[in-house]
Amino acid sequence: MNRLDATRILVECAGDAPIVASLGHPAYDLFAAGDRSSNFYTWGSMGVASSIGLGLAIGRPDLRVFVADGDGSLLMNLGSLATIGWTAPPNLVLIVWDNQEYATTGGQPTATAQGADLAAAATAMGIAASVTVNDADGLRAALARARTAPGPWMINAKVTESAPRAKPPLDCVFIKQRFMSAIGNPESATRGEPA
Amino acid sequence: MTVASIAPVWASGVCAGVHAAGSRHVVYVPDNPLSHVVRTFEQSYADVRLVLATREEEAFGIAAGLYLAGARPTVLLQSSGVGNSLNAITSLLLPYQIPALMIVSMRGDASEWNAAQVPMGRALPAILEAMGVPHVTVDTSDRAEALTRQAAATAFGTRTLGACLLARRMTSAPA
Repeated sequence: MNRLDATRILVECAGDAPIVASLGHPAYDLFAAGDRSSNFYTWGSMGVASSIGLGLAIGRPDLRVFVADGDGSLLMNLGSLATIGWTAPPNLVLIVWDNQEYATTGGQPTATAQGADLAAAATAMGIAASVTVNDADGLRAALARARTAPGPWMINAKVTESAPRAKPPLDCVFIKQRFMSAIGNPESATRGEPA
Repeated sequence: MTVASIAPVWASGVCAGVHAAGSRHVVYVPDNPLSHVVRTFEQSYADVRLVLATREEEAFGIAAGLYLAGARPTVLLQSSGVGNSLNAITSLLLPYQIPALMIVSMRGDASEWNAAQVPMGRALPAILEAMGVPHVTVDTSDRAEALTRQAAATAFGTRTLGACLLARRMTSAPA
């Protein structure tokens, strides 16, 4: 299963639910798999996607919040697993596209190539619903449960690298305003005032 | 009433200012003076949700997600921790125009005793200015509420960060 195929499965399973994507290849593939207004593409802040998802899940408990992270990115912010385990938002689904390399920066190996186990780390930090999946059927099954069963979820999906060929919009404010409108929190500055 | 439950005037003022500005979500990394602020929120503001982050960059990521969710987030951190935040501030909050109120407990300013706290504390105002983040120093207890409320109103109204720098001469003074 390559990351683009895996991302297509995520988009199919997520329905209209928000998806926060880590910068670089996870965000590029999310755009290629399906540009939706409820996609939040990050263009920087490597490592922070899971934290954005956590804040969103805390602030909007009525939504199921998906995060498309990378193994290298999560390794930059492993403390996030502890905070997610502690705060335990039942509506957060953290997905890691674990390709065992820093693909966006040239393919340097990550620690998961040497056996570091991110699902085990999530379990150890108190995220009970943590699984590793190795193929499309496994990913579909995990997402089908994560869509409705209480979380937080951590799905570590082993994927192969697939060079992205598309990039999301570059305008960060556009991404934010479109996303906030899509989930029902339009910024007040984007609305007119009564006369 | 125990002595521990009496908050310093500055801490009560900060909490009142944050609350008056409509912020109901406070993400923090622990710091000694800020423990008064955290305790006051816990004891006197039942509608404020506190989240403890492991590191400051993570705290700003959580704050950004809270803003996307429609909230007005506040981040409490020590001045040294601003150094851990710069990537999230400059590559997430500022380019996406995601606002947050920063309440920074200063180290390295007047009455500092720890040399390891001095370089960042001294550099912090210039670092904030270089990033275009407005900041105000709160150094007297009786102005804490108004300055915090005003900084928050500007931050959330204009969708940028705003920082209140809590002077050590105020936060370390005997209550």
